Amino acid sequence: MEFIFAGLAQLSDPWLIAVMAFGAILGVIVGAIPGAGAAVTISILLPSTFGMEPLLGMTLLLGVYCGSAYGSAIPAVLLNTPGSPVAVLTAMEAKPFADRGEARRAMSLAYSASFVGGVMAVLALMVLTKPLALIARNFGSAEFAMLAISALVLVVVGHGGRRIEALAALAFGLFLATIGLETAYATQRYTFGETWLMQGIPLVPLVIGLFAVSEALVQLGGKGARAREVKLSGGFFDGFLEVLRYPRTLFGSSIVGIIIGIMPGVGEFLAQQVNYVWARKLSPQGHLFGKGAPEGIIVSEATNNAVPPAALIPMLALGIPGEELTSMMLAVFLVHNVVPGPELFLKHGDFVAGLYWTLLLMNFVIIAFLLFATKWIARAALVDKRFLGVAILTLSLIGTYAANYNFSDVGLSMFFGLLGYILRAHRWPLTPILLGLVMGPIVESRVRQALGGAGGDFTVFVTRPISAVLVAALTALILLSIRDSLRNRKRRADWQINDS
Amino acid sequence: MSDETPEANRLESLLLNGIFALVAVGLLALIGKATGRGVASGGWWTRPALAPGFALVLLVGANIFTLGRAIVDLRARPPSAEEWRDARTRVLGWLRPLELLAYFGLYLWLTIHIGYFLATFAFVMWLMLRTGLNSPRWLLAGAALTVALVLIFRVGLGVWMPSPGYYDAAPEAVRSYLIRWF
Repeated sequence: MEFIFAGLAQLSDPWLIAVMAFGAILGVIVGAIPGAGAAVTISILLPSTFGMEPLLGMTLLLGVYCGSAYGSAIPAVLLNTPGSPVAVLTAMEAKPFADRGEARRAMSLAYSASFVGGVMAVLALMVLTKPLALIARNFGSAEFAMLAISALVLVVVGHGGRRIEALAALAFGLFLATIGLETAYATQRYTFGETWLMQGIPLVPLVIGLFAVSEALVQLGGKGARAREVKLSGGFFDGFLEVLRYPRTLFGSSIVGIIIGIMPGVGEFLAQQVNYVWARKLSPQGHLFGKGAPEGIIVSEATNNAVPPAALIPMLALGIPGEELTSMMLAVFLVHNVVPGPELFLKHGDFVAGLYWTLLLMNFVIIAFLLFATKWIARAALVDKRFLGVAILTLSLIGTYAANYNFSDVGLSMFFGLLGYILRAHRWPLTPILLGLVMGPIVESRVRQALGGAGGDFTVFVTRPISAVLVAALTALILLSIRDSLRNRKRRADWQINDS
Repeated sequence: MSDETPEANRLESLLLNGIFALVAVGLLALIGKATGRGVASGGWWTRPALAPGFALVLLVGANIFTLGRAIVDLRARPPSAEEWRDARTRVLGWLRPLELLAYFGLYLWLTIHIGYFLATFAFVMWLMLRTGLNSPRWLLAGAALTVALVLIFRVGLGVWMPSPGYYDAAPEAVRSYLIRWF
């Protein structure tokens, strides 16, 4: 624990505090604007962070990530429009509150549940990450290979109803990761002699294209309808302490959110659904869920905010990102030659400890900001979507260019933007493409190392105990999901639509 | 990200699946040519073709499965004339993002040839007019967006941009000012 307290000294850096506050406030604002959100903002900000100190860069991106989780509740309550898919449950539960003139109470319930979920997840990050990393120091290539493969399998299995499409997207990402120079044989793969492909597909144009340009194309193609604003009536602190009346729901949701957040590839949305179903079953007021139950808002927001810090646990301890935002953050580490995983705690303990404290402080900054700024942020959520599209598309150019000062990267982001637009129109998931690109080289090198050490003997993955357990768990998971898919197979008019 | 994606049409999806499957099969067919053998040696697990081959086999398999599922669904429930018409309209609708991306490409070209500030101003104004945001209030917001972008990226973050040739015609003091900020 000593190194954690040593990290407190990092908070004396005024730049760090300024960047953290800026990131958190920006995150709250973009989280509140439907169509903007963390993925779009982080993809555009990513190149700017490459020139910063790793801690500053990560703090900026984490500020946006955590802030947006809080901010998405604002349009959900005040406009009955979720700022992101994870605020759908909040929007549903908050509507009756707004209709009754208790929007402030719903808002306060959402904020306080978010705060508890966020703080508990940071504490879990502080307590669990280093022990996990220390255990991982005993891992060999076979274990790391299986962990990376587990993340990929979970991403596919997590897209219930769209698993085949998720598999195709993941395979496409894995293929993209193989393009460029190949080191073992000193040869090239799928470059077709083009020098600009030698270094492989760069991450920034892919991220900005898939997440920002495609979003801009969607927004610019829309009609720009304006949502109806709900008045923020009710007492300032109404509902703020009300969450404590539901300790089981509050802390239970936060803990489940942390556990699911640690699992790569599962994400906030599934965590919320799981929690919501269980909370409704266990609550004595379960019949009120969906009709404006305080517990419904608590479940949704506590889970939603517990996931981002928890998602950092496998990334920091094992070097395995679980979803698109931590995949983008991994790029910040790699640019600075900071390799996440067990060695991170030995070589860059101060960095990790600093990250813990900024994350914890971030939750206080966000809640303080929300207490007085909610009304104004709600106005930002009313921005015309066409204007938002113009802003995102304009930002995409400089965002892509600034990563390598290379205009041909902008061409790549246009290609991935079009691809992302078409895939989104057909409800194909985008996240597996990014995970495939990021995880592909990790999986390939670890599998090669493991097989190299065993003389090409595949049984190396089942003769080492941890690897064998992972193989068994993955096999069971794959078989169960196939059985689930076959059982639920039915002819559906909407077979293209995600039913997860 | 927003969840405002249009609902797909089965025939449009079939066409898209067909294109994806074709591209995937084409890439797999090229594997021998596109992954050279190189000069080093090693076990089978180090062959350059192994990783892309594995990814492409998965990609082809998933695409063919999706294509097959779409064909089975269409045979079970043949598309109506209305669905065909809708599919044609939707496929033509693919031109809409292409139009926007063409503007984006033009913006890129303009950035190199007339400078970042003017190119951004022209791009923002054109897109706003094109999408119907043509009131003075919106145009002013567009101008403010341009200034904000220049302030954040050129002034604040110091992002370097190539200077267009016509900056050289300005007096030295103005020229360096233009290169630094615009």
